[in-house]
Amino acid sequence: MGVDLHTQHAIEQLHYEWARRIDEGRYEDLLALLTEDAEYKVASRFNVDRDLPLAIIHTRTRAQLKDRITSLRVANIYETHHYRHLVSGVQVVGATERGHEVRSNYTVIRTMEHDGSMAVFSAGQYRDEVVFDGDAPRLRRRHVVFDSRAIDTLLVIPL
Amino acid sequence: MNAPDPHPYRWPAEGVSRAPYWVFNDPTIYEREQANIFRGRVWHYIGLEAEVPQPGSFKSTRIGDAPVILARDENGVLRAMLNRCAHRGNLVCLEQLGQVKEFYCVYHAWVYNLQGDLQSVAFRRGIRGEGGLPADFDMADHGLRKLRCESFCGLVFATYAHDMPPLAEWLGEVGNGIKRVLNRPLKVLGYDTQRLAANWKNYHENPRDSYHANILHTFFGTFGMSRQSQESGMVIDAGGRHLYFFTKAGTEKQSTDYQNTAEQLRSHNAGFRLEEPGIFKWQDEHGDGVSIQILTVYPTFVLHQIGNSLATRQLVPNGPQQVDLHWTYFGYADDSEAMTNVRLTQTNLAGSAGLVSMEDATVCEMIRRATGGANDDASIMQMGGKDLTSGGASKLSERGLRNFWHTYRSDLGL
Repeated sequence: MGVDLHTQHAIEQLHYEWARRIDEGRYEDLLALLTEDAEYKVASRFNVDRDLPLAIIHTRTRAQLKDRITSLRVANIYETHHYRHLVSGVQVVGATERGHEVRSNYTVIRTMEHDGSMAVFSAGQYRDEVVFDGDAPRLRRRHVVFDSRAIDTLLVIPL
Repeated sequence: MNAPDPHPYRWPAEGVSRAPYWVFNDPTIYEREQANIFRGRVWHYIGLEAEVPQPGSFKSTRIGDAPVILARDENGVLRAMLNRCAHRGNLVCLEQLGQVKEFYCVYHAWVYNLQGDLQSVAFRRGIRGEGGLPADFDMADHGLRKLRCESFCGLVFATYAHDMPPLAEWLGEVGNGIKRVLNRPLKVLGYDTQRLAANWKNYHENPRDSYHANILHTFFGTFGMSRQSQESGMVIDAGGRHLYFFTKAGTEKQSTDYQNTAEQLRSHNAGFRLEEPGIFKWQDEHGDGVSIQILTVYPTFVLHQIGNSLATRQLVPNGPQQVDLHWTYFGYADDSEAMTNVRLTQTNLAGSAGLVSMEDATVCEMIRRATGGANDDASIMQMGGKDLTSGGASKLSERGLRNFWHTYRSDLGL
């Protein structure tokens, strides 16, 4: 599936923006990378492979993801930790009605502040639809399919 | 010279209102739990009937450290057996879920049927008159180890103790809470596993402890969706092993005690609003106004109804300091697509990324760290009183915890 280099570059930059905004703790800034009707979903490969619909995070609009971010700021209790994303293999694999079907790999290394432990927290695939608002790429769908069926402690910061 | 015993396995004199921290840390206690609880006279949840719908359907799971297969045999009968070849102890079932005609050990091709009976052994008669098993080898003596298996409203339990009382009797009054939610055939929606760096009992205590609910879990409170002042209560079985708590949404009662306390609670903050709180609006499916029911069966099982989110939780310990919490989410087989979507949306509230419940994992892990080296100390559980009956049916009570420790001490001989 060929796209021009400019489009490929813009889509890659969108991926890096998403990752960097999370890794710098700017979760609210993710919202600007989404269309208003964007769906954000985090599901295990174990469920996806078996056509089981359950996702551990499923927001169907940008506002619903905003509510999750508000909740992690003001309501939820968890020990302070940080993510470092490694994103690779960003490929446009097809066209959708409004944009591009995109796949990429992610690895998230989580660092716990209390004892400094670092470990691979999650690795998997982003299954995205990217649309363009003029020159600006936006995620209209980001499905995070994580490879392990187990989550270490909890998932509160978006992947 | 004898080193002083750091904790001579003596329970604090206060009894069930105390739990010494060595029961969470000590590897010897863990081994005793495996023998007396997990392999003992206890029914253990192992899965849903809906996970093994057809003859040959199976699920692999564990009871404590032991790998277990739940299978449905050719006649549709539920069977539970150890996932351990009778020959040399290899796994005979490698997949988590699936459908087979038989269980086959890849090491030496010992083959078992769906009841766990040994069917064939590779080179049983040797070859050209050499080798082979002795003439007195009786296949009937070498099946997979069978557990007793029963189901209740679609929940399947198994036990090593073949002379246990029937499951329904073991569940007692708490069976009513199961019947209320599991009143028709189920459909599995998916799985979630949470791995906690904590002792399995840290988590088992958690849903038995209603005192913490609206204090630790601030999602509903922060956004003005639930308060401790709602109508609620507890049902506990006569043996004190199992219990459930229920809360009725929309029954806010004014009380001075609550108003005074609420000001001290971090959770009560009128300033925050969700953009789309409507997605968490629940439907009263059972017509009794109960919006949340958290049901705990000793020692490793939880059934939850949080709004319209339905799930089982199963604890599988990995040594004294780690436990896997397996969530199995489901709906009813006759759910409309719209109702399935309601349940899937409300899954955001529970599980390893649950807006309401994620704190439980955090607290279990923080307790584990805080109680490192605390073999000379104990937790205190005196809300509502000090004995097994005090506290009544109030949610602001630790009666459910005291009853857990009573059963646990009895099972471990402590």
